[in-house]
Amino acid sequence: MSMQRVRAGVLVMTGLLAGCHERLHPMWAESAVSATRAPVDSVTAQLNRTREPGALATVVAVPVKRWTGPGGQPFEVALRSAERESGHARTFGTITLPIVLRTRSATLSQYPCTSCHLGRNVVMVNQRISDAHNNVQPVHPSQTGAVCSTCHAADNVELLVLRGGEHATLDESYRLCGQCHFKEADAWAGGGHGKRLDGWQGRRVVMACTDCHDPHRPGVERRIPFRAPELERPGSHNR
Amino acid sequence: MTDPGPSGGEGGVLQKRLDRRAALGMLLGGAVVGTQALSACVPLSAETDQQREVRLLKWQEYIKRDYRFMTEAERAETIARLERLAKLQRGVDISIQSTGAQPGVMFGYAFNISKCKGFRRCVEACINENNLDRRAGTQYIRIFEMEDGEVNFDLADATFQHEVPAEGHFYLGTQCFQCANPPCTRVCPVGATWQEPDGIVVIDYDWCIGCRYCMAACPYWARRFNWSEPEVPVEELNPNQHYLGNRARKKGCVEKCTFCIHRTRQGRLPACAEACPTGARVFGNLLDPNSEIRWVLANKRVFRLKEDLQTEPRFWYFSD
Repeated sequence: MSMQRVRAGVLVMTGLLAGCHERLHPMWAESAVSATRAPVDSVTAQLNRTREPGALATVVAVPVKRWTGPGGQPFEVALRSAERESGHARTFGTITLPIVLRTRSATLSQYPCTSCHLGRNVVMVNQRISDAHNNVQPVHPSQTGAVCSTCHAADNVELLVLRGGEHATLDESYRLCGQCHFKEADAWAGGGHGKRLDGWQGRRVVMACTDCHDPHRPGVERRIPFRAPELERPGSHNR
Repeated sequence: MTDPGPSGGEGGVLQKRLDRRAALGMLLGGAVVGTQALSACVPLSAETDQQREVRLLKWQEYIKRDYRFMTEAERAETIARLERLAKLQRGVDISIQSTGAQPGVMFGYAFNISKCKGFRRCVEACINENNLDRRAGTQYIRIFEMEDGEVNFDLADATFQHEVPAEGHFYLGTQCFQCANPPCTRVCPVGATWQEPDGIVVIDYDWCIGCRYCMAACPYWARRFNWSEPEVPVEELNPNQHYLGNRARKKGCVEKCTFCIHRTRQGRLPACAEACPTGARVFGNLLDPNSEIRWVLANKRVFRLKEDLQTEPRFWYFSD
C-alpha cells in the first residue's frame, strides 16, 4: 500500500514536471495515448464512412441518448475528439474565430487520466484535490456540497457517474449535467440553449455542455468586446 | 429584342421599355467600337488591352437591367462580368452566386437576451463575412447595452467599450429583421429592394439610386448608406459572394443584413449565429415544425420590437 502511494506520488510529480500532459513524459506517452485514444479513433473511423459532404464534413458526432430534439427528432452531439482537431474554430470570410468561450482541449492539461493514474481504480481523496489537480478550482458543485466523487466514478477515472450509479463517458456530459439542470437540458435538446454546428439544415449536431462550460467553473467570464461602432451622435445609425 | 425576357408576355409598355434599353446598349456598343477604330487610327491614348476590357465591361454593366427582370442567361452574363472585373481591377478570384430561395423555407431568427453578454463576436464575423466597408467602419449589427428591467432605446448604449457583461445590464442585438410587412421596400421609387420568397429582403445595388427613402422608412435603423466608395483590403475580401448579398457595393447605394444569403440558402447558419460564443442566436426555417426556431417560439416567452407598427419582423427576442 505504501509502495503504491509512493509510486502514485512519483507519477504525479512526473506529470507536473512535464508542464502539461498534452506533451507527455516520453515514459508514459505511448501507453497512455494508445490506451485512451483508440476507442475514440475507432468511432471516428466509423463515422468517417457516413460523413455528409459539405458543411458537416469536419464534425464527428454521436447520437444523443434519452433526449430528443424538436418534434421528437433524434439529434447528435459533437465529440471532443473533433473539437481537439478543429480547435472549435470557424472561418468567416478570411478570418478564423474560435466559437466557444473556453475550449476544453486547451485547458485539459491532465487528460488523459492514465498519464498519471496507471490503473483505472483511484482512491478518491476529495480533500486533497490541491495535490495533483491544483489547476482545478471547483466553484460550481461545492455550493451544493458536492465532492469529486459526486460526478467522477471512483472505480474508473475515465468515466462519470450518474446519481443512479450508472456510468457515463466524458462525451456524455449532458447526461450528468441534465440531472440537476434539467430545465437547461430540455432547452438544449429543443434548441433554446447551446449551439448547433454548421448548418440550420440537414443533420442536427449540437455541442455538449462541456464544450462551452468548464464543469468546475461554469460561469461566463467577463471580456473586452469587439470594437464599438462609430456613431456620429447617439441615435444615429448611418454606419 | 429577340429575347422578350421573363416578363415579355405582358407586352405593351414593358416591352417598349426593354426595347429602348436594348437599343441604348447597341448604340453604346457601337460607340465603343467606333472609339476603338478611332484610337487604332489615331493613337492619342495609351490604353492597354486590359484597360479597354475594363472600360467595355463597365459599359455593359452600366446598361444592364434590374436583377428581377433578367433572364437566367443575363444573370450569368452579369456575374461573369463582375467576376472578370474583380480579377482585372483587384486581381482576386471571386465567385458570385445567384442561388434562389429554397421551396418551403421561410427564415426566422430568435435572439436570447439572457444569453447575450455583449462580446460583439457576431459583429466581427459579420464584417468579415459580408465585406463591409472597413474605412467607414460599417456594422450591420448593433448590440445595445440596456439597464435591467426595461427595453428602452433612449437609455440604451450601442457604443459601450468596457469589460462586459456590465453589472445590472443586459444586451439586445438588432440587425435587419426581414419583416413580413416591410415598410422599406414599399417606399423605394425604383423597385431596387424587395422581399424574396424565403423572406429575405434584398437590394439590387446596381439599381439603387441612393435616395435613402428606405432608411427613413425602416423603424429599426437596419440599413446603411455608403457615403464613400467602400474599401475592403484584398487580403480580407471574402470571395464567396452572392449577387443580392455580400458582393462589392458602390458609393451612393444602400446596404443591409441579408441573413447571410450566400450561406443560408446553402443550408448553413448566418455568420453571426455561428460566431456567437454564448449560443444566444437561434436561426432556422419557420415552416419546419421540427426546427429549433419553432421550438423557441413554442416554448419560450418571446417578443418583437415595435409590434404596434405591424411590420411583422421575423426576428424574435426571448429569455431563459
